Amino acid sequence: MLDVAEPAASAPQRWRLRRPGARALARAGVVAALFLFVLLALPQLLSLYYVDAMTQVAVYSMVALGLGVLVGRVGLISLGQVAVLAVGAWTAARLLFATSMPYPVVLLAAGLITMVAGTLIGLPALRLRGLYLALITLMLAGAITVVLKTVNFPNGGHGFTGYNGSSVHIPPIRRPSIAGSDPAYFRYAVVVAALMFLLAAAHIRTRPGRAWAAIRQSEPAALAAGINTTLYKLWAFALASFVTGVAGGVLAGAVHYLYSIDFPTQDSITLLAVVLMGGAYSLWGAIIAALLLQLLPALLNNWGVSADWLTILFGIGVLQVLTTAPAGLADQAPRDLARLGRLLLALARRLAPSAGGAK
Amino acid sequence: MRDHAPGARAAVALAAAIGMLAAGCSSGSSTTSSSTPASTQPATSSPSGTTVSTSQCGTKAGVPATGTPITVGGIVTDQPGTSFTDIAFMAKAYFACVNANGGVNGHPINYIIEKEQTNPAQIAAEAKQLVQSDHVVAIVGNTSILECTIDHSYWEKLGFDIIDSGIAPECYSTSNSAAVNMGPRYSSDGAVQYALSQHVSKVVFDQSNVPGTGYIAAGPAALAAAAHTPIVQLTENVPISDANSVAIKEVDDAGPNGAVVLNFTPPQALVILQAAQKLGLENRVKLWGCSTPCNTDFLAQSLGPKWNNKLFVNAELAPPDSTSSASMSLYRAILSQYGSAVSGGVGSFSQMGFTEAEILVHALESVTGTYSVQSVNAAIRAVSGFNTGQLCQLWSYGSYPMHIPNNEDWTVTPSNGKMTTAQGCTQISSVDPQIAAYRKVAGVAATAP
Amino acid sequence: MPSWQDFQPFIVSGLALGGVYALSGVGMVVLYQATGVVYLAFGAVGAMGALIAWSLTHAGTPGWVGWLACVAFSAVVTLGYGMVFGPALAKRDPLVKAVATLGLTLVLFGVMDLLWTTSGGRSRGITLPTDNPAFMIGQIQVTWTQVIGLAVGVAITAGTGAFLRYTKLGTAMRAMANDREITATLGVPVRRVEAAAWLGCGVLAGVAGLLLADLVALDATTLTFLVISSLAATLIARLRSITLTFGAALLIGLVHDLLTPIQSLSSYNDMTPFVLAAVALLVISRRRVMSAASREEA
Repeated sequence: MLDVAEPAASAPQRWRLRRPGARALARAGVVAALFLFVLLALPQLLSLYYVDAMTQVAVYSMVALGLGVLVGRVGLISLGQVAVLAVGAWTAARLLFATSMPYPVVLLAAGLITMVAGTLIGLPALRLRGLYLALITLMLAGAITVVLKTVNFPNGGHGFTGYNGSSVHIPPIRRPSIAGSDPAYFRYAVVVAALMFLLAAAHIRTRPGRAWAAIRQSEPAALAAGINTTLYKLWAFALASFVTGVAGGVLAGAVHYLYSIDFPTQDSITLLAVVLMGGAYSLWGAIIAALLLQLLPALLNNWGVSADWLTILFGIGVLQVLTTAPAGLADQAPRDLARLGRLLLALARRLAPSAGGAK
Repeated sequence: MRDHAPGARAAVALAAAIGMLAAGCSSGSSTTSSSTPASTQPATSSPSGTTVSTSQCGTKAGVPATGTPITVGGIVTDQPGTSFTDIAFMAKAYFACVNANGGVNGHPINYIIEKEQTNPAQIAAEAKQLVQSDHVVAIVGNTSILECTIDHSYWEKLGFDIIDSGIAPECYSTSNSAAVNMGPRYSSDGAVQYALSQHVSKVVFDQSNVPGTGYIAAGPAALAAAAHTPIVQLTENVPISDANSVAIKEVDDAGPNGAVVLNFTPPQALVILQAAQKLGLENRVKLWGCSTPCNTDFLAQSLGPKWNNKLFVNAELAPPDSTSSASMSLYRAILSQYGSAVSGGVGSFSQMGFTEAEILVHALESVTGTYSVQSVNAAIRAVSGFNTGQLCQLWSYGSYPMHIPNNEDWTVTPSNGKMTTAQGCTQISSVDPQIAAYRKVAGVAATAP
Repeated sequence: MPSWQDFQPFIVSGLALGGVYALSGVGMVVLYQATGVVYLAFGAVGAMGALIAWSLTHAGTPGWVGWLACVAFSAVVTLGYGMVFGPALAKRDPLVKAVATLGLTLVLFGVMDLLWTTSGGRSRGITLPTDNPAFMIGQIQVTWTQVIGLAVGVAITAGTGAFLRYTKLGTAMRAMANDREITATLGVPVRRVEAAAWLGCGVLAGVAGLLLADLVALDATTLTFLVISSLAATLIARLRSITLTFGAALLIGLVHDLLTPIQSLSSYNDMTPFVLAAVALLVISRRRVMSAASREEA
């Protein structure tokens, strides 16, 4: 199992529902303020180029959230999440072209259908552990990718696949009527992402989260304690697939056009890299992962720096995380910042007596 | 307790340093699109021996342009395995030449190249970046698998008339895009048309499985149907990892009197043809064909003599080695003086970049007053009957709902390491319904010689 | 349904493809047997070695200099990685060790694309002097390189199997893969044995890289991610048996190419490695739970 370290503070509180203290309320306040800022102010401040990039960040934060739950909470590595995203996007696109269902219904349907697919795949795979599980998810993702290359994404055609290969005028995938423009769609994506994060947080704070933590610590011990490990592992797969499926739906509306070449198998490897770097344990880690995956390339592209540097960075990041900082940036950064803060304080204190003495 | 290895942290840092050092020492890397350096000698000789000065590209020889720049932009695909940067870099080289020789009425052209990795969100974002942040007045040089599909509504809404080297269907079927090339469908038409003209009994058309295969296949299908010749349509996932089975399948399906026509990027087509040669299959069919991407001397050299008069490549632009016109000499001169970033050298990619830049400069020179989106694009749309020197026909934009201004081609074949002309300018048949539709709306302009 | 005649040439090309998969599959299982690490960077390191060989040959040096450089580079990088990250991750789950090699893969992949940029009009290729035709099977010509590719696969399979079982060093390697701590207490020079295993794998990766660059294509993406398909062969053998890996690789290649003439399945034949591996794993794990944790299956 991937033994990702967890901060010690939460260990003794695992079996009690915490009553919100002052610190928790303050943290919630900060999160709410940040959320409102991102929702309301950010689209006004950024150029359309960056609004589009941040929409992708919102989409992939959900994907990273799904993978983070699997990797960080339960200790299962899936190398096929990009294929799951593709399935979600495919389903949403098909529904959007074929029906005139309202957007939230389409997103829900895409999430549910992807959840069923993900769980069905997870079912036999749960007899495999660790390395074998990771590798079989890679194999299944490879198979799905090949099927997608042949079946293609819906583009307004008829039939089950909804693909019209000879089209000279491919219609764009529609967006919700309230969120047609790019800034409006960004806000829509952020709201959906927030809902997914709340869903994941709810799982983590209640029984599934505790069961997952027990399974991650030691599966035999969890079994002995009477936890139905198969059920909870499947639940994790289901949650991850649902969230990723919804992300696929949001992606379909964001890009307007979907192509199988945009979901290659190797992207699953990069996704795992950024999730590990961002921190699989913390929910913030998913946001950091998405920023690494979608904002950083957009920035580098603007500055004329090749995207290859990012690939190298991610590779180094994976090595660093696995050898020295398994909790990733989300855990490391606050600690490093705290250390920096202490250093600055010590420096200030050293300078202060001399200032006081000069009086 | 975790197994702490303090050495590991240092090693990671070392690995990072080595990685950066190694990459820093890279030679000829084309990661930046900075302006190409001009050499001290302004003149260079073409193969036919006549000396051509690059200063012919501009209106005032040797006078650098110093006015307010005219900003234009372009979007090209550049990812591992597929790169069309040569086209944009050659356009940039042309602009550099113009800027060094008087500019456009004294104004230099500032060309911003956006690279994309076939990511629809990125492509849409880059279009907005060019318009809203970089304030470009024209879009030229786009060469992308997806861009026309994703951005065409945006360009139509804002009134940009794009000059591109098209790939996606929308580059040829919408009102605001006119290409200097024929694109995969019409170029494959040309290759299949040639094969049919050699009276083959069957055609196997194999193409890479990138977006638009059905649209591309429809052209050859129509041509084969009109010639009452059976056609087999195949697609291959790229990059090809098993060229042997691809070659065997194609040859088996075509039969001894059949033709195999390929539509792939040069590296992929080369892999298939080389596999066919290694397997000893190249003579098992009557002839092999390829769409324009195969039209490079590099391919001719890599293939060797067995393919002389065996492989017939559709050439959308004038074969450089068999054409000795002033335009071709200028193209070679600019390429050698300003085109150090063009990795593919002489070939259709850089020719496309040259032609697109040429058309834009021609349009810009007719603008009086300020260079705004409206004035510049009106001038582009007004381009009519322009002799680019690189195409069979005169090139026109015009206000039509669709544009296929380049619809006549040459056919070339490798001969001792170079591509030589096998057939001169031939019109793509109107049997292809899209070609017929364009000729109808454009009238005389469509087939002006 | 196509006739036997139609299938015949695809048997030859299928075996050739299987040989390709076998080269990297066997190489990865060999290292796993010795160190417990699934070396997913096998393809990337060989690809970079091949590109270095190409650059040297392109610059005018004789062919063998490039080949030597390729093998040397692969050996050095693999050994370096093994010496630094081997001990650091030794106590961790095989999954963690495998994911770490993915980190190396990404680094190499990025460096390759930076140093050897993709050009639209040109491609790179490796030609070996053994590219000449050897003999004909039916109507298909077979080159010496393909024969060598298959022969190298067989040699590695037979040779390494024997090496690991019958020599002292080989036994030490297998003991180390099982339990590093106990092997160390038995007085086995653990770091030296480990170094030998990594070095051997690196040499293998270099040789495979050259052959694959010739047989498949000299393209960083193709060669790096070819390991995903080769992994299928290793998974069918449950990462345990080198001979089974070799056989599985040949089977995958055969099935992949034999599907080509069947119209309805032809466009799905790239799924072959994945489907076969998934089915094999699910069948094998029917009765019991499969885990790669050091004490159980390895």
